[in-house]
Amino acid sequence: MKYESQGVAKLYFVAAIALFIGQILFGVTMGLQYVVGDFLFPEIPFNVARMVHTNLLIVWLLFGFMGSAYFLVPEEAERELYSPMLAKIMFWIFLVAGALTILGYLLVPYARLAELTMNDLLPTMGREFLEQPTITKIGIVIVALAFIFNIGMTVLSGRKTVINLVLLTGLVGLAVFFLFAFYNPDNLVLDKYFWWFVVHLWVEGVWELIMASLLAYVLIKVTGVDREVIEKWLYIIIAMALISGLVGTGHHFFWIGTPDYWQWLGSIFSALEPIPFFMMTLFAFNVVNKRRRDHPNKAAVLWALGTAVMAFLGAGVWGFLHTLAPVNFYTHGTQITAAHGHMAFYGAYVMVVLTMISYSMPLMRGQKAANETAQKLEIRSFWIMTLSMVAITLLLTGAGVMQVYLQRYSSEPLPFMVVQDKLAVFYWLRELAGLAFLYGLFMYVYSFFAKGKAVEDVA
Amino acid sequence: MNTEVNLKRATTSSLLSLLNLTALPVIAFVILLIIYKKTEADTIDHYYALLGIKTNLLAGIALVVVTALVIFMGGFDSPWTWVFVLSYFVFVHAMFILFATWVMVRSWTGKKLTRAFLSK
Repeated sequence: MKYESQGVAKLYFVAAIALFIGQILFGVTMGLQYVVGDFLFPEIPFNVARMVHTNLLIVWLLFGFMGSAYFLVPEEAERELYSPMLAKIMFWIFLVAGALTILGYLLVPYARLAELTMNDLLPTMGREFLEQPTITKIGIVIVALAFIFNIGMTVLSGRKTVINLVLLTGLVGLAVFFLFAFYNPDNLVLDKYFWWFVVHLWVEGVWELIMASLLAYVLIKVTGVDREVIEKWLYIIIAMALISGLVGTGHHFFWIGTPDYWQWLGSIFSALEPIPFFMMTLFAFNVVNKRRRDHPNKAAVLWALGTAVMAFLGAGVWGFLHTLAPVNFYTHGTQITAAHGHMAFYGAYVMVVLTMISYSMPLMRGQKAANETAQKLEIRSFWIMTLSMVAITLLLTGAGVMQVYLQRYSSEPLPFMVVQDKLAVFYWLRELAGLAFLYGLFMYVYSFFAKGKAVEDVA
Repeated sequence: MNTEVNLKRATTSSLLSLLNLTALPVIAFVILLIIYKKTEADTIDHYYALLGIKTNLLAGIALVVVTALVIFMGGFDSPWTWVFVLSYFVFVHAMFILFATWVMVRSWTGKKLTRAFLSK
């Protein structure tokens, strides 16, 4: 670790991993509720478990992005962080606000939570992924602004590289697009436009910039390939991500009361969306192939390659699978969407954060790379989690195809809940895959505490 | 000894293999066969052209033949046929694309494939 202030990232990463465990625990709980409907009812009803599962994902990924930025930016800018103290204060504010919000979901009925937090003054609650009370949303904006100020001042007063500028652009975009969460029109169709301006423009827009810059940074470090080569790739990837992803928002506007032209715009532009993910795979394969050294942190190299591959599969291939309007006519809102969502989030964002943690954590603990035993465990956990996620995706895809057939394609369509009963076998198997994922996650956490022989530095 | 021409042909072959799996099926394979005929044994272009042909033949069997068999045996009107066919086709096709991409990147270095990803 070159700069002392990079150490701030450790706080963020520890919180991120803790919340990740919480997310998966609620995931397997909810997975069981799909087949045992009254499991943990009324203590944790399905809708609450789902809200906690998705909100924890968003919050821990934000912790991961912030931690990654605090580690990466000082090194790229070749100076200490503008204010490590501000970063620490914001960490605690964000953690406490996040924890209180989750406790609010779990302990108070949602309508009562809205009353308690004075949602009626500026109503923003009640929408998927944006369920947070308005006061929490205001807190997120304050934390994001302070974070961007801290990172921005570091970048602007230091060395400006393509990586830290792309990262900063992504982070500013993240904060700006979140502002649409405060606009909640009465018209449901209009509301969906603005809701997707947050959700889609995050995950298929600015988050891709963050992901690409983090991946580029780690690949420079572990392969020793020239920065210029990697930067050229980065330019092309983010250009393609924005060209396809911005108008690609249209694929969310099919069949919800919006004008028909969205079917053309959404289909054409989102059909291009796999391209940046394919390029990321090509880029990662290429630089790992042309590496000038074998970095002792093999786990980090594996995570980096895995990110590129799984993002291509989850976001690219599984996104394309149901993005064309005539296909989406049948698949809209089915388990095929859930299959895509699971693998895309894991492949693109969970894995890139774990890549950063894998690379930076040993450095923050005063090592070049984790010891041999720890790396073996980490690599094993990589495969368990990744293969479990592949299984989850395939099972949800199977469930989705069956759902489409029975509910929307068959000459005698069955009602939604009747079809859900017929999908039980998929949900049971998905639950087993979810438990395997949880096991992999515990192994990953354990790897940080494993003792073993130090690795040789062959760099 | 691999010349510039050999290396160029090797990268073209691996690109054609990828194209046959994605944007230009059949046409890319025919061009790949033509390139293969121009290569000589024990050269890098021969290696990559042959690898491309083998990969695509295997992909043809795995994707077209297996899928057709499942539809034939499972029946066109059974939802289970489509559950298997769609999940299988998308996943296996993506695996072939990833493999062809790795092969293409490897051909850019002018070296053959190796088993180890993470160490030289």
